[in-house]
Amino acid sequence: MNTGTLAAMAWRNIWRNRRRTLVTLASIVFGTFLAVFLTGMGDATYGKMIDTAAKMGNGHVTVQHRLQTEAPAPKRFVSGAKGLAAQVVQTPGVRGAAARIMATAMVAAGGESRGAALIGIDVGSESKESLAALGGVAEGALFAADDKHGALLGADLARHLGVELGSKVVFTLTDRNGEIVTALLRVRGLLQTGSPDADSGLVIAPLQTLQKALGYGPEDATLVAVLVEDQRQTASVARALQPLQSGDRVVRTWHETMPELSGFIDMKLSGAAFMQGLVLLLVAAGIFNALLVSVMERMREFGILSAIGWGRGLLFGLVMLESLWIGLCGLLATVLVAAWPYWKLSTEGFTLPVVDSSQQTQVANVMMDPTFYVRIHPENLALIVVAVLTATLLSGLLPAWIAGRVNPTTAIKLV
Amino acid sequence: MNQPIAELRDVHKTYRQGAVEVHALRGLSLAIEPGEFVAISGPSGSGKSTALNLLGGLDAPTSGRVLVEGQDLGQIGRRRLAALRRDRIGFVFQAYNLVPVLTAAENAEMVLALQGVGAAERRERVARLLAEVGLAGMEDRRPDELSGGQQQRVAIARAIAAEPAVVLADEPTANVDSETAAMLLDLMGRLNAERGVTFVFSTHDPRVMERARRLVRLVDGAVESDVRR
Repeated sequence: MNTGTLAAMAWRNIWRNRRRTLVTLASIVFGTFLAVFLTGMGDATYGKMIDTAAKMGNGHVTVQHRLQTEAPAPKRFVSGAKGLAAQVVQTPGVRGAAARIMATAMVAAGGESRGAALIGIDVGSESKESLAALGGVAEGALFAADDKHGALLGADLARHLGVELGSKVVFTLTDRNGEIVTALLRVRGLLQTGSPDADSGLVIAPLQTLQKALGYGPEDATLVAVLVEDQRQTASVARALQPLQSGDRVVRTWHETMPELSGFIDMKLSGAAFMQGLVLLLVAAGIFNALLVSVMERMREFGILSAIGWGRGLLFGLVMLESLWIGLCGLLATVLVAAWPYWKLSTEGFTLPVVDSSQQTQVANVMMDPTFYVRIHPENLALIVVAVLTATLLSGLLPAWIAGRVNPTTAIKLV
Repeated sequence: MNQPIAELRDVHKTYRQGAVEVHALRGLSLAIEPGEFVAISGPSGSGKSTALNLLGGLDAPTSGRVLVEGQDLGQIGRRRLAALRRDRIGFVFQAYNLVPVLTAAENAEMVLALQGVGAAERRERVARLLAEVGLAGMEDRRPDELSGGQQQRVAIARAIAAEPAVVLADEPTANVDSETAAMLLDLMGRLNAERGVTFVFSTHDPRVMERARRLVRLVDGAVESDVRR
């Protein structure tokens, strides 16, 4: 008997008890729908968090001193960082790369002082697409490329210091040799990013000014921040950049430079995977039950088929094909049911009603967008499809085995 | 004398029913010749159906030998036994036992499909066969669209489609009315006479016994009488 005939017979068999099949399909739709939406929400949310975090300064991949993450200090810098950035940009999968100085400083003005995180940037090669804080200029503007003394200050920091646009602020920091140095900058713009940390403690200044203050050469910087085209390419880009490692210079991924965020996402993904496994198990139990009942009801029929020459393999194959059909129909039904809500949530998302712009949640120092989208990565979708089909087929194994082992004499009740 | 198509040689069959050991057959020997139209009768529990099961390779004897076309069924493996049932033995059951999701034609051609006969040839052979059993034009009906007698005709068509050596029919007229029973017996008698199909019935039905050209009566698992007419 060819597979087509067997498949046609299996197809008709699953519709013999229409209600039972529809209930089974509903459980598959429910489980798959849940898995797709939870995974899609995770993919979109965590992907966005990772991109946001990468644009906070370090990039998806960072070329830096090997101790920079654990024990940051001005003496731990990357020689020739600007040249490296130009080289890194040529790597496939890299969207952009920039040499930056990351330091901490005491900022003072008119008798007030505050601790601040300092980011030195090369204005000509940066934008809000590479450094998210640049998109938060609420007053004034980004300093020009030839402006060696311009600075952007967090709005809350400026308010604490009592400075406004055009005011002078003094920065005190330690240079590469551990000596205390100062620099004078003028406020060109105020940052209102929504992140309490940035708004109350971030200063963005010209790279060359900080290079000079810290005693670095014109090509040196604390790190080279590398942005990748798709955050899922982080590992492959990091591998491609391995040849840049030399001496104390290492290539790190955001997992290593932002361990808190990495741990948070891993924890969430593990929790989601566990929940989805549980849902899948429940769905599989439903399919198993439906198939088992269906097989037990048809033992007489299997006995007849065995009597007229069906071998165990054919009987087993028939029930396995029935379970495959149920799995495929379940997936198709999921597509039909989920298409519209998925499209809606992937394009418009949903915004949590209790959150307004001033109450955004921060997780692992990264701002969470209050609008959630559902955009599943194709490989995760494929994984769900494979998992559902596998669960369906596994659920069919025992019923199929029982069908294959039918004793025709007992089943037909010839005796 | 021809070589028997199917044969039971000193067959004993014992099975357990709860704590009780039941001796269904006690040294039964029976040889079915080609072209015979045999009815096995006897009271309930006499071993009729057990004998049919053994002849059809659906069950194995506790002792003794079962041969079909000279092949000892106890000596061949599970796969070969399934192939033997498929190719050389036809079954007709009391309750028709058609596959409900298949049409009359699909039910009838199932064994041919198992044998790997091409779709076009299957369709042609089965159309002829269904016409022969009086079901022309009903090829596409499902079993639930057919009467009991029509379903049993499809079952007979299924049993003879692959031109088996012997058709084993277990109480084939038990579930139909007298008129239908007579029609079915006419049909099987004609197939026996015209095509030479060998039929072995287990039956309580006097109408079947009347038509049979050989009547074997079993009592307590052994042959009480074996009369050829």
